[in-house]
This record gives sequence, C-alpha cells and structure tokens, in this order.
Amino acid sequence: MAKEGSGSILQFAPFQSSVDEGFWHRLSSLKLNKFGIDDSPIPISGFFAPCSHSQVSNHLTLLAESLPSDSNEESSMPAIAQSNRNRCSVPGILYNTNTMESFHALDKQALLKAEAKKIWEDIHSGKAVEDCALLSRFLLISFADLKKWSFHYWFAFPALALDPPATLVDLRPASQWFTAQEAESISAACNEWRNSNVTADVPFFLVSIGFDSHAAIRHLKDWEACQGNSQKLLFAFYDPCHLPNNPGWPLRNFLALICARWNLKTVHFLCYRENRGFADLSLSLVGEALITVPQGWREHQCVPNAVGWELNKGRKMPRCINLAKSMDPTRLAISAADLNLKLMRWRALPSLNLDILFSVKCLLLGAGTLGCQVARMLMAWGFRKITLVDNGRVAMSNPLRQSLYTLDDCLNGGDFKATASVRSLQRIFPAVEAEGVVMAIPMPGHPVSSEEEKRVLEDCKRLNDLIDSHDVVFLLTDTRESRWLPSLLCANTNKITITAALGFDSFLVMRHGPGPFNSTTDLKTETTNSLSAAIDNLALTNKDGRQRLGCYFCNDVVAPTDSTSNRTLDQQCTVTRPGLAPIASALAVELLVGILHHPEGIFAEAEVANSNNSGSPELPLGILPHQIRGSLPHFQQMTLLGHSSNSCTACCHTVVSEYRKRGMQFILQAINHPTYLEDVTGLTELMKSASSFQLDWDDETEEADDECIEL
Amino acid sequence: MDVLNWDGTLSAKDFRIGAIAFAQKWETLNLGYPPWSWVPSPKHPPLTSPQEEGYLSLEKIRISRPKQEDVDQNIKTDTGEEETSCSEKEDDIDDATLVQSSHHELQYYDFHIVYSHTFRVPVLYLRAYRSDGRPLLLDEFEKDLPACSVKELSKSKWTFITQEEHPYLKRPWYKLHPCGTVEWMKLLILGDTSQPKFEVVLELYLLSWFSVVGQVIGIRIPVNVLSDCR
Repeated sequence: MAKEGSGSILQFAPFQSSVDEGFWHRLSSLKLNKFGIDDSPIPISGFFAPCSHSQVSNHLTLLAESLPSDSNEESSMPAIAQSNRNRCSVPGILYNTNTMESFHALDKQALLKAEAKKIWEDIHSGKAVEDCALLSRFLLISFADLKKWSFHYWFAFPALALDPPATLVDLRPASQWFTAQEAESISAACNEWRNSNVTADVPFFLVSIGFDSHAAIRHLKDWEACQGNSQKLLFAFYDPCHLPNNPGWPLRNFLALICARWNLKTVHFLCYRENRGFADLSLSLVGEALITVPQGWREHQCVPNAVGWELNKGRKMPRCINLAKSMDPTRLAISAADLNLKLMRWRALPSLNLDILFSVKCLLLGAGTLGCQVARMLMAWGFRKITLVDNGRVAMSNPLRQSLYTLDDCLNGGDFKATASVRSLQRIFPAVEAEGVVMAIPMPGHPVSSEEEKRVLEDCKRLNDLIDSHDVVFLLTDTRESRWLPSLLCANTNKITITAALGFDSFLVMRHGPGPFNSTTDLKTETTNSLSAAIDNLALTNKDGRQRLGCYFCNDVVAPTDSTSNRTLDQQCTVTRPGLAPIASALAVELLVGILHHPEGIFAEAEVANSNNSGSPELPLGILPHQIRGSLPHFQQMTLLGHSSNSCTACCHTVVSEYRKRGMQFILQAINHPTYLEDVTGLTELMKSASSFQLDWDDETEEADDECIEL
Repeated sequence: MDVLNWDGTLSAKDFRIGAIAFAQKWETLNLGYPPWSWVPSPKHPPLTSPQEEGYLSLEKIRISRPKQEDVDQNIKTDTGEEETSCSEKEDDIDDATLVQSSHHELQYYDFHIVYSHTFRVPVLYLRAYRSDGRPLLLDEFEKDLPACSVKELSKSKWTFITQEEHPYLKRPWYKLHPCGTVEWMKLLILGDTSQPKFEVVLELYLLSWFSVVGQVIGIRIPVNVLSDCR
C-alpha cells in the first residue's frame, strides 16, 4: 500500500454497531417483567472480533446475552461460553428511557464524557493495563416503545481525542513491513494467542520481535519487561476494521494509554486482522504514528475531549428498528394462520383463492350452536369479516354445545350472545374483524301490536341494511319462521345464502339459488310493471334459461308460522344430538368455500355426488351440491337438488315483486296474518285442489318434510 | 439396524452424532465458510436426555447479492417515524475520525440445523438481517436466493420457506419445510447400489441432506465430495 505522506493526520475508522434481534427481545422482556419504570443505567456487554474479511468490517454486536438474563431463564441458561474467540467482550452501559421525550432530552455530551472519564481513570490507575478490555467502552441510549415494538437507539464509542491529533509516518500491510521469517513467526504466535482460552478475548497486546526474528506476544503489563530485549516492539490490537488505509477505532484509546502511561513519541502499531479464523498479515496493517503528548495529560484530573457518537447514514441522528413483525402476537397469529392456509394451497389446492376468503363479509343470523360453530369454521378457512346477529343471552346450558361461550358468559343473567361471541372470536384470533348485533328477526306468524310495529319495522330495515352490506348470509336460527324474512331479503338482493337446519338426529345444509330478479334488466322492468304469467315462468330460470335453485322455503306447502307455541318443552327447545351441529356447520362453510371458488358463484348449477364430473381436475374442491342431508342414525349423507318453486313463500317472483312494490307494508301483513303468504303465492289454492283429489299420501312424504329430487 | 428397511428418519441421538460428523467433514471441505458449531440446548424438553439436545449453527454468512439494489434499499428505510436530527454543539469536527462516504448495506444470514421430533429429520432454520442487525423479511431476501431456488420455492412442494418459531430461541425464524425430506433422503442414501452400513449412513446423512438443502440458500457442496465420502 502507498506510504502515507508523513505528517498526515492518522484517521480511525469508527466502530459500527449491530444489534441482534434477540437483544431487543430480552430488553423488552426485562423492561416488562423486571425493570418496570426504573430507568437507571444497566451495565451490558458488547462483542467484537478482529476483522475477518477483506471487504467487510466487523461490528460491535449486541446479543441477548449482552443483557442480564431474564429471571425466568436464569436457572436454565448455561453460563455464557467463556472466551469465545469471536466474542471479545466490551463493557458498555445502557440508558433506556421511559419516554421518547426523555430519550431526546438525554445530555449526550455529558454521558459520553462520563464514559470517557471511566476510560481515562482506568488508564491512570493502571487498571486498563491489567485488563485491557476496559479500553474500549461503549454507551447505548434507547427508548423501547413496547406498544409498537419499535426501538430508538444511539450508540457511542467514546474515544479520547489526542490534541493535536497523531500523525502518520507510515502505514502498510504487515506482510510488507515484516520480513518473511518474522511474518511467519508472528502468524504462528497470533494464532496460538487466538486459540488459547486464556488469551483469545484479550484484544490489546504487545508483539515483540527478538533479534533472531522470533516473535512473541506479551500482555500489556509486560511492557517494561520487553524493553531492551526486543528488536522491534509493536502495539497490537484486534482491529475490526477492514480498510487498507485506516486503523480501526480501538487504536484511539490504545494510543491514549501509550501516550499517557509510557510517554512515547513514536508508536509502531499492528492492526491485527484475520481471514477464515487465521492471522492474515496481508490484511493486517503495521503503522508508525507520531504523538505529541497533549498538555495536561500527565494530570489525570483533566479528562481529554471525547468523541464517538455513531452516525446514522452519515447523519447525526438516532436509529430506529421496528420488530412488530416478530414480536406482535397478533401479527404472529396472523402469519401462522396464513401459513396453514398457504400450506393447503401449496400442497393440495393450488387454485385456492385466499384473497376471496380474507375479504368476503359473512353475516351469521343466529349465534347459537350453529352460529358458534360456523364462525369457528369460517375463521379456520381464513375468513376474517364476521358479523353475528342474535338477541338472546348466554344461558347456563349453552357453553357445552355452543362452542364460543364459557361459564363466565352466563353469569349475572348472561351476556348477549352477539357480544360474547365476538369477544370470544377475538380471543381466538385477534385479527378477526367481528361484530355483534343484538337484534330479533321479525317472523311471520308472530303478530305484533301497533306499539311494537315501529320497532319491528326498524328491525326489518336494519336486517335489510345488514344483508346489503355483507356478501354472504348464513341462516342459523332455530326456527323455520325466523328464516323467512332473511330468505326473502336475500332473494331480493341475490346474496349468497346458506341454510343449516337441525332435526333431532338429521340435518339439512343448503345453498339458496339466486332470486327471481337475477339479471340487471329484470331489476329495472319488474319493479314497476304488472306481472304476467309468462314472466312468472321466466323468473323460475336464471338469465341463461336454466332453472333456478330453490331456497329453504321452496319445497314447503305451508307458510312459515309460529312453530314454538303450544309445543312441549322438548319440541320447543331445539333438542338435537350434539354431534349434529358441528357436522352441519362444517358442511355449511365448506359449501360456501365451494361457491366462492366456482366461476359462476351463486348461479352455479347443482352437482350431485357420483356423477361423471367428480374428481375432475377443474374441481379441486370437489362438486358443488345444492343440498346436503344427513342422518346420524344411519351415518348417512345425501346430496340433493331442488329447483325453485313458483309458489315459494320467500323467493318466488310474486312474493319478491310484492315486497318490492309494497315494502314494509307487505312484511307487516305477512307477519300479522298467518295465511296471507299462502294466499298471495297460491298455496291456499294448491292445497284446496290437492285435498279435493283425496290423494293417498304416504306416511313417508310426511316424514321427509319436503319433496326433494334425489339423484 | 438393517439399512434396507430404513425409513429415512433419524433419532435425536443419531442426529447429534450425524451433526458432529457433518461439522467435522465441513471443515475438511474448506468451502470458504466458517465452521458449524454445536449449540447445546439450554432447556431440556421432556423425553430426551439432556446431552442430545442442541442444534448446529453457522452464523453471519454473507451471500453476495446484485449491486444495483443497494440504491433502493437505502431509500426505503422503514424507520417508522421520522427522526429529528439532533443538532449538537459537538459540531467541532474531529479530524481523526474517518468519514466514510459509502453506506454500503450488507446482508447476513444465520443458518441453524435443528432436529425435528415430529418429522425425525434435520430442518434448516434461517434468518437474514442487515449489518446493523435489522431483520429482513422473506420477501426482502428471497430475491437474493439463487434464481433456481426461487423458482423451486414457487413450484415445488417441499422446498418452501415458512416463518415459524425457532424451537430453542423462541423467536420467529424462517424454516425450510421438512415434509418430503424422508423420501429424498432415502433416494439419496439408498439409491446407490452399494448398501452402506448404518454407521456410514449416519456419517453421510447430514452432508447428503445439506447437499440438497444448501442449494436453496446458495451453498453448494461439490458432487465429487459426496461420492468420495462413500
């Protein structure tokens, strides 16, 4: 390397800091569990090693072990491996403030000065000669924002400034400065020094070369002893810096010590650097520096000026690191949940559209056995936006079957299910966007008095708004009649609607077809025009002429009415085999995932099991049925298809048109007059004509409470 | 043990033996990387004898990356909030401090080989960070992985990287998913016509394993090394 012109100022490459994530993790845990608001300074250790790469300097690194251990780990942690050759310890001090304001208000000059004074005193007392690790100290100020998992911090590596600064006479690679014989001897001696448990982490030392070119490494305290019996004496240090023309920062305080204690004017120094764990003398430097002893340095009362605050990208400002991604439990839960879904996509379902699942808004009407279970299944599939509607409170009998509740929710009269379920969902997965609405669903056959009328109409309006603002509606209430209004509103708006209903030991899970006005042209014309039979037929089909799929009410020949009065207790309460609700809920959600992945969505034709298309590669999720019926006594499950009926009390053209024309008046009439819906839809007519035939109904048909076409 | 009926898995004890054999072999290969070191576990999960617990560690590895990215890396500093530059009275310039103009951002990798009790195979855990210690997310360092492994990552079923808690450090690390390891390990070890003794299998296990896994992170073991070991 080029010889520096004699007289140029010797410039040192500043230390660079590196803070391992583990340091911040432990600091957070200590701050929370041990320190509390105590912000007194904490002694810590940094670690460094000689440069080991021709292009990169080594950093002063803070690790979890830099801090005292958190109390809970104390017993199980083994003692820090002593004398790790690449972890030379540097004493440091941490000022962690409680607020951002006090972080900024710290008197940085005074803090730096205080650390420099420690170094200065150790030099004068001779402690630094005995234990040379004391020559390199560091200072860290920080503010740990534990709510945001962000850490503001600033390092200083106090260096005693020589005034006037040292000048450089000569600086070149050590391999050029030494004779080959000397170099070989030095390398061997250094490697031995670095491999011994006793000396590997002693970062300052003397290299003495005898007249026989034999090199020996001595401790600083042997300086006097080295006088006279060596041809060359070099002051060596582990140099973290890689630069070919500058020594690293530790040399500064070393020169201060040499100057203050031994009063030398000319200093030969060795910047010891390594490659792959061995001394590398072409990377190491040897320099000759001239020092003018500054005035007053003999008296140790007057502390020299200190410098050393670390720059951040060349500017005097603190650094900031945000670790929310690895510390915020909510974020960790999200990424773990994502992982499961992604694994599913990577390994089994490459066409799985997670974005749809994340963004679809689900409305769950009913937060009982079915509602709780559906909500959990939705979350398992990655759905994040869930609204639960229920007007009930959690009763003592609920928690065993309704999987979102615990005994606590039943106390003091019980919390509203809508509130308790949301709370529970958030506990399970904090990133869920769940909302609870305490509201009763107006039902036909449950007449309302004129005082109640206003409230009922408001509820209708509210339900309508809820359905409008969601993409999917689940009908999970425990009575037939409570499903009527939502079925109608969903048919009116063509929302994806899924019904799950339970008997004692059998269940039905189905998706509703689109409503009668399922194309935009229909929407405009039909609302105003009078109806004709022709259009009535049209309304049974989709816009492309296929028959619409039925809704929950399409197969019924009676209008929904009060099904709870005049029943015995076991009929009133929904008594079902406990396994039923989880099965039905799981199927309901699987059905939804199927619809969302079908290119035609709500208009998708019904497929049934065992037909040719099963196992087709285009259907990675399998077939998309219309209805699934299962029965526990036979452990049987069937997929069924039922088309829409033009006398359906909820989704037929007549009813939806009537609702569009008369709105809430129509609803009120339906609620207050049990037979009104049957009259409007022609069911009354149908029943009359049917009874006139005196058909011989089988008991069978009564049992299967609606006609399904089994395929 | 009969190697013919071997299912491709290792016991925790075998893992430790294999890991130490691998670390020794690694040093003789002299590939230009520092040595692996065995880190004993501070905690002893139940059902395992303490001295068997631990993992192999290779830290602060630099993998060279394309130059041009340094520019936009510097622009995109995620400091969260803007720090006010504190104007200090310390402004008198210290002539003896070297002012470096370039702020070359480097990135480092840590690799740990941890035994999975579930899969009974070694698993590679890794993380990447800047020189100041700031951790990098997968999508930030993914592009620095060898092009072939990025392609593998997107299509293959076993070489995907997921974020999971490091079983010993209890912090989130990235891991190369171990499903499938057993199958290709059997192919690697038993595919050869010669049927090695189980002790030999153990010697070779981690080296063979790493010859596959290392490619994902751009560390190659020369082919002849493996055949020489036989």
